[in-house]
Amino acid sequence: MINSLYIAWRYLVFNKVRTATLVACITLIAFLPMALQLILEESQQLLQSRANSTPLLLGARGSALDLVMNSLYFDDEVPEIISMQAADEITDTGLAYAIPLYIRFQARNKPIVGTSIDYFDFRNLQIAQGRMLAVLGESVIGAVVAEEYGLAPGDSIVSSPDTLFDLAGAYPLKMTVAGILERSHTPDDQAVFVDLKTAWVIEGLGHGHEDLSRTRDSSVILNRSEDSVTANAKLFQYTEITEENMEGFHFHGDASIYPLTALLVVPNDAKAATLLRGRYLENQQYHIVRPTEVIQGLMENIFRIKRVIDAVIAIVGLATVLAITLVFALSVRLRQRELTTIFKLGCSRMTAVKLIAAEIVIIVLAAGIICAGLLHIVDANAETLVRMFILN
Amino acid sequence: MNAKFWQIIVSILLAVSFTASADEKLSVYAVNYPLAYFAERIGGSSVNVVLPVPSGIDPAFWEPDASVIAEFQRADLILLNGAGYAKWLKHASLPRRKLVNTSAVFQRDYISVEQTVTHQHGPGGDHSHAGTAFTTWLDFNQARMQAKVILSALKKQRPQQADVFIQNYTSLEKDLVSLDQALAAIMEQDSNKPFIASHPVYQYLARRYNINLKSVMWEPEIMPAQNQWDALQQLLATHGAGWMIWEGQPDKQSVARLDELDINSLVFSPCANTPEEGDFISVMKNNIREIEKAFQ
Amino acid sequence: MIEIEALEFHYPQGEFHLSIPRMSVGQGEKVAVIGPSGSGKTTLLNLIAGISCPQQGTVNVAGQIVSSFKDAGRRDFRITNIGFVFQDFELLDYLNVLDNILHPYRITRALKLTQQVQQRAIDLSNGLGIGDKLKRFCGELSQGEKQRAAICRALLPQPRLILADEATGNLDPRNKGRILDLLFENVESHGASLLAVTHDHELLPRFDRVIDFLEFRTGTAA
Repeated sequence: MINSLYIAWRYLVFNKVRTATLVACITLIAFLPMALQLILEESQQLLQSRANSTPLLLGARGSALDLVMNSLYFDDEVPEIISMQAADEITDTGLAYAIPLYIRFQARNKPIVGTSIDYFDFRNLQIAQGRMLAVLGESVIGAVVAEEYGLAPGDSIVSSPDTLFDLAGAYPLKMTVAGILERSHTPDDQAVFVDLKTAWVIEGLGHGHEDLSRTRDSSVILNRSEDSVTANAKLFQYTEITEENMEGFHFHGDASIYPLTALLVVPNDAKAATLLRGRYLENQQYHIVRPTEVIQGLMENIFRIKRVIDAVIAIVGLATVLAITLVFALSVRLRQRELTTIFKLGCSRMTAVKLIAAEIVIIVLAAGIICAGLLHIVDANAETLVRMFILN
Repeated sequence: MNAKFWQIIVSILLAVSFTASADEKLSVYAVNYPLAYFAERIGGSSVNVVLPVPSGIDPAFWEPDASVIAEFQRADLILLNGAGYAKWLKHASLPRRKLVNTSAVFQRDYISVEQTVTHQHGPGGDHSHAGTAFTTWLDFNQARMQAKVILSALKKQRPQQADVFIQNYTSLEKDLVSLDQALAAIMEQDSNKPFIASHPVYQYLARRYNINLKSVMWEPEIMPAQNQWDALQQLLATHGAGWMIWEGQPDKQSVARLDELDINSLVFSPCANTPEEGDFISVMKNNIREIEKAFQ
Repeated sequence: MIEIEALEFHYPQGEFHLSIPRMSVGQGEKVAVIGPSGSGKTTLLNLIAGISCPQQGTVNVAGQIVSSFKDAGRRDFRITNIGFVFQDFELLDYLNVLDNILHPYRITRALKLTQQVQQRAIDLSNGLGIGDKLKRFCGELSQGEKQRAAICRALLPQPRLILADEATGNLDPRNKGRILDLLFENVESHGASLLAVTHDHELLPRFDRVIDFLEFRTGTAA
């Protein structure tokens, strides 16, 4: 058998293109369904575990999936906005406590999660470096964000300008990194956390007042008189909240109408959860969803699609097997002369079969090794791939 | 014999752990002294109340640093006065779940005050912020309601100690009601009697007890400037007050000059921070005795 | 070395018929076989090698009746006792020269590829003047070099009989002589016999004996 493998190996090496094509075909046809399965399993695990650890979500009536994807996985599809009042309503029921979420902005392509300190307790997120948020304008970043951008406590990160919502003339906010969270292997690793109020400052709902009388750039001043200076919207490239200007930062109007994207609702017990869901069943404005159910629905749909893809792959696989059989049949015919010669030299007809078998063994083995290698890479990067393909 | 031994060990361990959990004091942080006092009265030995504001500083305008904010974040309960009290809360990050707004129950009765600071946002024009008077506890009925909110917050945290809390609260309530009645009784004598407040912090006091009170913007320890005296003269023309109410012991010069204008001085301490002597009740009793002087 | 008696052969289909009443090749003898195309020269080689079996008569090679073996036995006999040299060399393009020479050892269990065999292959190729081309693929060789490689392959198992089927047919005249010299040289040094089918009549005088096939044939080629 060693000799047959050697001859087959030489044949395959000599016919490199043919060999490479065959190996590639078999690799692909084996790799695709397995990689798909791997990614789907990983995404199911990722989605499901996060959903299971989130009891209830309250959001504006509309797509439950958008609500869950935005609130749990920080997907950039922003659901309908609700107001802070909803949080007070939940608290007032005495059945649950509510953690407000405002997930709408981004900093360096990472989601900015505006929330309250309760979120960290609820998700059991610990500070690895630095400290927790203390005041307006501070952020606490996930481990991956810190790693990717090389950020340490004391550095700063600027929110991306949101042209769509820039009507109020909101400037990007330069936020201090107060702390870095311990890695949790959840979407929290990928987020920039700020206090709700800081998120509202980014939106332009809260603002400070710089001392314009000292501004040198005359192009920003619209009107300067003895006691008043009017500035145009060009004044800053970004806003920064410092110890000096913090006191001047303020919010206009009633805080209860300030925007949120969702409320993370943590009921006291199962009974409270049922009661609460019942209460919001008929509510015109809000709905309460159970992320576990929503994600289960999503996964069912994904797996339904996967079954179709599997069927397609099976058919393509069959076609490939037929094509490969044809390739071997043709190559036997091409090698008829060689086979006649070795027969004349004194070897049995079986030797030809052995040679072909050895070739198949080598090709399949090579494809198997490459496939395993690729799957290993996919497995190692499953989380990233899921984030790339499923969560975005 | 062996089984008996283990049984004893286990029961000792259980007893120790139970005592430990019961002994674990609730950590309660407050933003001002009245709330801290109420919490201490109601919670008794089951709570550890902290008011981290250094003495001599008005808690309403105090600024904690990040490490103090972190202490607040770690507390089991954070008692807020509400009504916009303590401006540091506007930009601090605190856990909502632990916040207890003690005045939310009567937020409809908040008194708005016009603030004098106006500013511009672009060419749109001027506007001013409507502020809220925040010394809610000087209305002792409101103080009682705030105490009651603290009671229910503590009960929720430690249901097994509810009876003790209720008992403690009832005693506090009695004290507050008697303060309320005492002050009301004094003011009933002449509700038209005009007073001047050195600083606008007595809005709720004036409303509850029908005090005919107008306010200037003086500080007890600083001799007012001439234009402030002029403003006072103007006020006196329509509001012939014989008494000025001070937040703290006034400057002797100010008192002497007020005497020349036939205005007597009395001190009614809001007691926002921990008093140097006595407690909330004794300070308030003193306040009432002071105000009684005006009617003698 | 070869003793053929009363051999009768015909293919299952077709009218070709070969009849050899008696033919022999002695030990160390170098015999040429001539005859027109289709006269059955290649068939004779196949019968001697045990690739085909006669309907009647016996083929005795090196003292063994080839036609009495079963198929596997004939193959093992062939690979150990007979060396084939073909007109078109029949080298494998995907193997280098050395692997081509060693090929018989890799396709049958009757021969064992040992260190000594490898060394012998190298010595043999040196003797045939292609020792420096062992790592080359056959496509890179000249016709003469190819036939040298093919001769090496035939000689390596040290057969007692070399069957050459138009071994010089595809070579230019200068190479013909040299290849034949090499073949003779090696056959002699190995003490083997040579039976060569050829069309090159100018080479005939160099053989010990010439068998003209017209003697044996009856019927027409298929």
